Amino acid sequence: MPREAEPSLSERTFTLQAISEGLRLDSRKLDQFRPLELSFGDEYGVADVKLGKTRVLAKVSAEVTVPFSDRPFDGIFQITSELGPMVAPSFEVNRPTETEILLARLLEKTIRRSGALDTESLCLIAGQKCWSVRVDLHILSADGNLIDSSCLAVVAALRHFRRPDTSIEGETLTIYTAAEREPVPLSWLHSPFCTTFDFFGEDGEIVLVDTTWLEEQLRVGSVTFSLNKHGEICQISKLGGKPVEATLIIQCAQMALAKSKEFTDLVDARLAEDAKRRDKGGLMAELSAENER
Amino acid sequence: MPLDTSTYSLALLRIDGRRWNDLRRLHAQIHTQDAADGSSYLEMGHTKVMCVVTGPAEPQAGQKKGTVGSAQATGQKEGASIVVNVVVAGFSSVDRKRRGRNDRRIQEMEITIQKALAANLHTHLFPHSTITVSLHVLSQDGSLLAALINATTLAVIDAGIPMTDYITACTAGSTSSYAAGDDAADPLLDLNTQEEQELPYLTVGTLGDSDKVAVLVCESRVQVSRLEGMLVVGVDGCKQVRRLLDGIVKQKGRKMIKEGAVRRSDMMAVSLDD
Amino acid sequence: MLDDESVAQDEDDEDEEQGDARDEILTPGTVITSNSQWMRGHGTYVPLNTSSITSSLAGTLTRTNKLLSVRPLRARYNPEIGDLVVGRIVEVQAKRWRVDVAAAQLAILQISAINLPGGILRKRTETDELQIRSFFAEGDLLVAEVQQLHQDGAASLHTRSLKYGKLRNGVFVAVAGTGGGAGVVRSKRQLWTMEAANGGGKIDVLLGVNGYIWISKHIESDAAAEAAGINRMEESVSSQIYSSQNNHIDVTTMREIARCRSVILALVENGVKVDEDTVTRGYNEAVEFGRESMEDDIYLGGERGQRLAAALAGR
Repeated sequence: MPREAEPSLSERTFTLQAISEGLRLDSRKLDQFRPLELSFGDEYGVADVKLGKTRVLAKVSAEVTVPFSDRPFDGIFQITSELGPMVAPSFEVNRPTETEILLARLLEKTIRRSGALDTESLCLIAGQKCWSVRVDLHILSADGNLIDSSCLAVVAALRHFRRPDTSIEGETLTIYTAAEREPVPLSWLHSPFCTTFDFFGEDGEIVLVDTTWLEEQLRVGSVTFSLNKHGEICQISKLGGKPVEATLIIQCAQMALAKSKEFTDLVDARLAEDAKRRDKGGLMAELSAENER
Repeated sequence: MPLDTSTYSLALLRIDGRRWNDLRRLHAQIHTQDAADGSSYLEMGHTKVMCVVTGPAEPQAGQKKGTVGSAQATGQKEGASIVVNVVVAGFSSVDRKRRGRNDRRIQEMEITIQKALAANLHTHLFPHSTITVSLHVLSQDGSLLAALINATTLAVIDAGIPMTDYITACTAGSTSSYAAGDDAADPLLDLNTQEEQELPYLTVGTLGDSDKVAVLVCESRVQVSRLEGMLVVGVDGCKQVRRLLDGIVKQKGRKMIKEGAVRRSDMMAVSLDD
Repeated sequence: MLDDESVAQDEDDEDEEQGDARDEILTPGTVITSNSQWMRGHGTYVPLNTSSITSSLAGTLTRTNKLLSVRPLRARYNPEIGDLVVGRIVEVQAKRWRVDVAAAQLAILQISAINLPGGILRKRTETDELQIRSFFAEGDLLVAEVQQLHQDGAASLHTRSLKYGKLRNGVFVAVAGTGGGAGVVRSKRQLWTMEAANGGGKIDVLLGVNGYIWISKHIESDAAAEAAGINRMEESVSSQIYSSQNNHIDVTTMREIARCRSVILALVENGVKVDEDTVTRGYNEAVEFGRESMEDDIYLGGERGQRLAAALAGR
């Protein structure tokens, strides 16, 4: 199994000492994110998030299938993530690493279990037909903080996504193409966002956000909060690592809330921009014979 | 089965008759397995787990490569690596369900325990070796991760592996229904399955008698303002658990001294400060 | 639950008042002392930003002059130079063996650290390296001494004495090693010969410090060779030293070996430490037990084991 090379001892001491003096290698403040870029594809449901050198792409697709027999009134919603050798040679196909397991669990808890998507609205005919919404998350390049960027990408992609409109008359289910009826957005209940705090220092007293790969290798612990803008915690995970003071955790929660509001505003703004770009006067514009000159 | 939370506000008693800050019966034994280096059996109410620790020992042939289905510490060249395996027995819960080795939920618990141990144990004393922790879940009734962490701590102490302090864990919940902003919500300590299904809760694991949080896992929706209250109750519960576990270890130690298996202390610890 | 807790609490209080404080058990995280005149030893650590020596184990306190250490209730064997250990070969490599001695890592036995057959101080040749398996092969048991410790705590063994070498003519028992608990403790003598009851001849008991025990029939060394002096003796004995063939053992002897093994297991089961004193006294006690029944029962599990332990404790 190819292993990721570890930072050398001198690299380690240099970086850690700099952090303990409040300096980061890329001259960010300790609580500052790297510039975050969110863009949408031409298709509905494609979101591309760039956070420094980390880049993730989420693609949403939907198809009509038979619901699970134990949940006839619910649609199917799944998130799959893949960390392949494209990211780093230490990731192998079909052999989930710890990072991958934790990422998948985190997205599952943050988005699926918290009920961000109303799965009941995906049901078409109880027990027979439902929508199966699937998010494919591709990590294109990893330079730390995969969790926060992945979560943002998935949420943005799902909110951007439009599924074909349907109607039921008696026993017949009709699915309309985009030309027949405008596709409809998913029934979205709330937007949770992850913020990861990484702890440094002998006592875990220094807190960093949005760590790069190098910083991530040197951290002594981390905690990830998922909150929506209403201040609801969807998930917290501090999976072991160096024990930190409980008061620090509470402080982090408050910071995560502020961050989550920021993310919400960002996604809202980008979605509005994208909607504006797409909407050039609706159907009338499409039907118009006038040429752009 | 929905839990009728409305009765709580009347009598301030929970479904099993406990008050908000009561732990369930915690029963534990250490050194239950003769063949193991360290072992323990722990019951928190009806949640029953067993733990067996092997090592520090030479890594087994298969363990050097990342074995699928077990959490493993990598990049710890200078110290012992820790491997944690959790096996959930098919008969442990009401619905008999076979959980594969690749269940993500279980893998996450393995990783959590492994990382918590890695930060607590003095692994640098045992280079080039492996500490294997296997946990068996015999019965589930809430607070599973907490029970696993507590059992692991006991077994590791039994194995005589040096550590910074006990890591003890318990769950804390809140009576508020999720997302509702009612201020009258009470925090609850040590939830059982019924309460876990109905109420928001978190699992908190702390180091020794301090307020330092080693593990914090929350999987339910809850107002951020509730967090502090739940955390305080949880941390307090962990201290109670630590006292109980400490009592069990000391009791075992006294018994061993009485049997003559261990020599007594050369002197009193208290006299050292003079 | 409250009840349980209060009981535990009461016990603690009681101990502080009446119990001997030397019965106190230190547990991980217990501060031993904040006085800076003491030095920290095994089983202790000093937390960051403090100067208090804190226990990292559950055990009892030991003091060596100014050095404070915690003796664990139970722990895996930790090799020390000069320890007599019983080991099992797990791996044969080009010029050395890797030996399981119940420690954190496998011990190493270099081919240069064994007595080669055909005379003392013979130079190791390539032929010896090629026939490395003819000396010790996988699964063989041996008794050796810890010669040196490596940086990482791994032990190197040697068998360069007539006392050491391959083990034959007996049975193997594994119990916990040093570090307390019911197991073998370091003592003046780890190896002795005792007269077996019921005409069983002499049996050797070898208590490896690592908790591995070998009980075997005593083989009288060749009187002639012994007379010839130490150098000659090695020469004559070493020809058969690596044999894996058992000598003839009488049924009575085997029975007494088995009795001795039961005694050791009973000691362990009932939390009694294993040393020369407890084993010989336990053995004599067990012989008495055997006389009680017609069929001379050597089984010492369960209740009989408890009786044995009680008889030993009663002195």
